[in-house]
Amino acid sequence: MPSTILIVDDSTTMRAMVRRALEEDRHQVLEASHGAAALAALEQANADLVITDLLMPGMDGLALTRALRASERFRALPILVLTTEGAGSMKEQGRAAGATGWLVKPFQPDVLRQTVRRVLEQRA
Amino acid sequence: MTYEKIITLHVGGVHASAEPTVIKTLLGSCIAVCLWDPRARIGGMNHFMLPEGGGDGSLEDATRFGVHAMDRLIGEMLKLGAEPRRFAVKVFGGASVLALKGATSVPQANVEFVRTFLAREGFHLAAKSVGGTYPRQVHFFTESGKALVRRVIGPQVEAALLAQEQRRRQRPPFGDVTLF
Repeated sequence: MPSTILIVDDSTTMRAMVRRALEEDRHQVLEASHGAAALAALEQANADLVITDLLMPGMDGLALTRALRASERFRALPILVLTTEGAGSMKEQGRAAGATGWLVKPFQPDVLRQTVRRVLEQRA
Repeated sequence: MTYEKIITLHVGGVHASAEPTVIKTLLGSCIAVCLWDPRARIGGMNHFMLPEGGGDGSLEDATRFGVHAMDRLIGEMLKLGAEPRRFAVKVFGGASVLALKGATSVPQANVEFVRTFLAREGFHLAAKSVGGTYPRQVHFFTESGKALVRRVIGPQVEAALLAQEQRRRQRPPFGDVTLF
């Protein structure tokens, strides 16, 4: 079922690539270029899932994840981290911050879609 | 300024440093993008090549190589404390090397990709040396942001570039997925 997904990434090009992958499953896609913009966007719209980059200027992906987990409203919102960082220690930090999952770039569009489906089904 | 550290980049390589470092690479049809934060004195370089069409033959699949090379370089710069708004960008490569037979569309696609990418991301292009028919040897100095470019040719250069060309069709591995 199509859902509303917020993509957080400082790269316009990367956001466009993720958007195209998700729109094939007819999801409605929102975009933010950093953590603080993501928080503002989430206040305005009811997103079902956040897909966030890790390394961004200002509020990064881990800080965004912690901020969402600390909020009553977004405590259970699924958050997938999509990053070039693949080290186990970084993933552990993501898990500890409260991320739902961790995808290492380069991503395969169909694997991203499958993962999104699984996460949304678990939530339903 | 003495540069004690010298790093050689090959296809697919990315390196950024906050310590004075020389990053060097040899380019035929490939592209190297150098990023420099003048205030933090942090510099970095990548070296990438778009394949001739992607796995599904689409341009989008091909450009994924360049997008991820840029993403990794920007990420490494951010980790060191660089600020993207200050980036000065230098772009090298994309030559149609006559000694190497093959499609001339690759160097052109490489140059066009990087032009489009930089414009879309709003980065300031400080200098470029792209196209032409001669391979380039690039030395990038991370402390000063200066780059030295030499046009090079000879049997050793051609052998090194041929080895790079053969790697063009090898696809980088995709990343894995972990659900916590």
